[in-house]
Amino acid sequence: MLAVKRTRRLDPDPAFTAAFRELAPRLPGSANEPLARIREEGFARFLALGIPTQRDEAWKFTNVARIANRPMRPATATELPLDRVLPYLLGGPRARRLVFVDGRLQPQWSHTGGLPQGVIVESLARAAETRPLALAEALGELDDGRSFTALNTAFADGGAWIELPAGLALEAPLQLLFVTTGGEVPVMSHPRCVLRLGDGASLTLLETHVGLGEGAALTNAVLQLALRPGARLEHDRIQLPAAQGSLLAKIDGSLGAGARYRQTTVLLGGALVRNEHELRIDGPGVDCLLSGVAVPGTGEQSDIVVRIHHRAGGSHSDQYFKHVVEDRGHAAFAGKIVVHPGAQKTNAYQKNDNLLLSDDGEVDTKPELEIYADDVKCSHGATCGELDAGALFYLRSRGIARQAARAILVHAFAAEVIGRLADPTARALAETRLVARLGGGLDGALVETVLGEAA
Amino acid sequence: MATAFDTVKDYTEAEYKYGFVTPVEEDRFPPGLNEEVVRRLSAKKEEPAWLTEWRLAALRRFLSMEVPDWQKVRFAPIDFQAISYYAAPRQKERPKSLDEIDPEIRRTYDKLGIPIREQEILAGVAVDYVFDSVSVATTFKRKLEQLGVIFCSMSEAVREHPELVRKYLGSVVPPGDNFFAALNSAVFSDGSFVYVPKGVRCPMELSTYFRINAAGTGQFERTLIIADEGSYVSYLEGCTAPMRDENQLHAAVVELVALDDAEIKYSTVQNWYPGDKEGRGGIYNFVTKRGACRGKRSKISWTQVETGSAITWKYPSCILQGDDSVGEFYSVAVTNHRQQADTGTKMIHIGKRTRSRIVSKGISAGRSDNTYRGLVRILKSAEGARNHTQCDSMLIGDRCGAHTVPYIEVQNKTARCEHEATTSKISEDQLFYCRQRGISEEDAVALIVNGFCREVMNELPMEFAVEARKLLGISLEGSVG
Repeated sequence: MLAVKRTRRLDPDPAFTAAFRELAPRLPGSANEPLARIREEGFARFLALGIPTQRDEAWKFTNVARIANRPMRPATATELPLDRVLPYLLGGPRARRLVFVDGRLQPQWSHTGGLPQGVIVESLARAAETRPLALAEALGELDDGRSFTALNTAFADGGAWIELPAGLALEAPLQLLFVTTGGEVPVMSHPRCVLRLGDGASLTLLETHVGLGEGAALTNAVLQLALRPGARLEHDRIQLPAAQGSLLAKIDGSLGAGARYRQTTVLLGGALVRNEHELRIDGPGVDCLLSGVAVPGTGEQSDIVVRIHHRAGGSHSDQYFKHVVEDRGHAAFAGKIVVHPGAQKTNAYQKNDNLLLSDDGEVDTKPELEIYADDVKCSHGATCGELDAGALFYLRSRGIARQAARAILVHAFAAEVIGRLADPTARALAETRLVARLGGGLDGALVETVLGEAA
Repeated sequence: MATAFDTVKDYTEAEYKYGFVTPVEEDRFPPGLNEEVVRRLSAKKEEPAWLTEWRLAALRRFLSMEVPDWQKVRFAPIDFQAISYYAAPRQKERPKSLDEIDPEIRRTYDKLGIPIREQEILAGVAVDYVFDSVSVATTFKRKLEQLGVIFCSMSEAVREHPELVRKYLGSVVPPGDNFFAALNSAVFSDGSFVYVPKGVRCPMELSTYFRINAAGTGQFERTLIIADEGSYVSYLEGCTAPMRDENQLHAAVVELVALDDAEIKYSTVQNWYPGDKEGRGGIYNFVTKRGACRGKRSKISWTQVETGSAITWKYPSCILQGDDSVGEFYSVAVTNHRQQADTGTKMIHIGKRTRSRIVSKGISAGRSDNTYRGLVRILKSAEGARNHTQCDSMLIGDRCGAHTVPYIEVQNKTARCEHEATTSKISEDQLFYCRQRGISEEDAVALIVNGFCREVMNELPMEFAVEARKLLGISLEGSVG
């Protein structure tokens, strides 16, 4: 009997090539030669890398081909009434924002006026006109061997170019809202954002992905972060994809000495959502705190991948991710701390806690350490279990219905992460959605109590 | 005051003391691997036809497979055609008593500190010696026979107990399981076979001592241990090899089967030649070890102390099939110079209320790399399964690496899994504390390292614990700070 060699990559669906040929002349910056070349190269790279299968160690827990390797068409312009988008406009009255629907900027809802001198906030399409060479360089410099990044480089349409000059602290939060509507034929969009903070600059970024509509959709987002020494970034991410919506989000960032990066992600919904982070710590005194919570239910999968490279010593990083798995949900976490040679006095933590509420669900976790320096403090922990029977009994004995008791406990588990969101409006949106999601007979009064306690 | 680093350096410069070669006349095949070689090997061992066919099927499987590349260890491609697949000390006939063993071989084991006679009488340990590929002697056989315990070489088991061998061989590690298991299934030469009958508690520790002596060979032994209902057996395994510039391959397969209420305790002290300071030579230790807890309330416990080998790449695993079965894994892996170790375990929970415990201690020094890689998988049927995993790494010096790659996959909500890992070094404070109390630096390092490994050392049988402690000291000689 011959062993069949199972392949680690699949050839992409021919529809990708057709879509690229058709769309390339209309993509932002297509008239600009270097930019068009970068896109061509990106697409060739995508074809060469192919779609990873579960034989590929990086995708061991996730069958991405089922949502990504099928004929998809690029999104077309969609009209949405304001009231459907309104609940997702975050950051309060002073906030600046860019709103994209299926990858297209919606100027009527976007607002970037009155920003201090030197601050650049513009859509990718605009950046392709004002700074084509810088954009080409930024797109070209990211080659992480990941096929979806290459695909994004080829198709990058929506997205933003954000720059803060040295020393500037932007008080008003900045929101990037990506709305996906989906359609009969699955729709794909490829937002690409470049965010650069100068020395000591500071920003609160609210990144929101929302799925409206029943159709299937794939959002393949890439965000390139560069924090100069002493820069500070608060990064709140709320992800609410529709049932047929999938999101592949990659964040690639480098953090200079003394930079501070705090990111909190709350995910509810989505057929397959994979959040990948690759962060490089390039100097001492960096403080990097990543946290996230997701509640995958039937037909949903949340996959979190984190790689933190301590390339310089004397820095601190902390990963804190939680999953609550309901029904047939599937949660995966693969975190990795790499301490490079010479990165002494590194302080790195990693924690992944999972609540598995159903026998049909699955939790996979892989917290990894790779350490090449001896004077470091690195540790990680992972747990998986169901709700504490004692706590459940305590609530039940006080007359709280089983479903409500369960919802209260799950809420408490998730609230620890939600509480880390920097922006109060983001926190409120996450809370409301989580409570609605947990449902289970929670009546209005109880929801208020729960919300009241959380506040 | 010498710094910790200097001490580490002194440690690392210590030499391998088992690196002698024994001049024994040997009988060996020319290098190469094909069906003909497998047939000759099988014929030489007078094996029944079913086994020859089994080997040939495994060979075909092997030839269609590719060398795996997912592991953290790196090595030059191995030329499987350049290895001689059979090397045996030449003898007219198998010795009838211990006195008939070739005096040279006897001397080798004396050098290793395990005089056969002495072990037999003093230690009360029944030992099976595997020299290169062939089992040389099995002591204490008669005494075991009275209890119905079968402890013999694999070749003998194939002749004397074919029904047991046929039933269990490859039932835990199938021939096509992985690349090296397929190779082993095709060319395994000898190994130990143990069968403990129902309700028997094996009164002594059973032990095998492995030694690779000849150049240009590999060692492919196969061990099969079956503990029938309600029985208990503790099995020890030790290994050494001469110093050579070439790398030698050791691709063994160990299969354990525990039926209802049975318990198997398997301990290994692995001290194959690790190569010199620059990483030349040394053994590639690519071993598949797996135990199946088939019966209810059965238990399999792996304890390993890994100090040798240029590359160690193995994952002693437990398949917890029976309800309430228990799997344990205790490991100390020490790497120095340019050694690489990628080791850990797999715990597959299938039965209800199955429990597993993993304690892994990795110590890296010099320019070595030490990886813990483990899988805990809880299947849907494993109601109420429990796992606790702890893996701690210690780095000695700033040019080595310590890595942890745990996989946890859970499909049952009543399961509870915990994993924790830490990384640390021997601190100047700890050393200073010992030094100011008059303990030499080297002793202080040994003391601290032994303390770090205590949880695992406590699991070793008495005779081994002493040896293992010494080995830890020796492998880290010249390395600590």
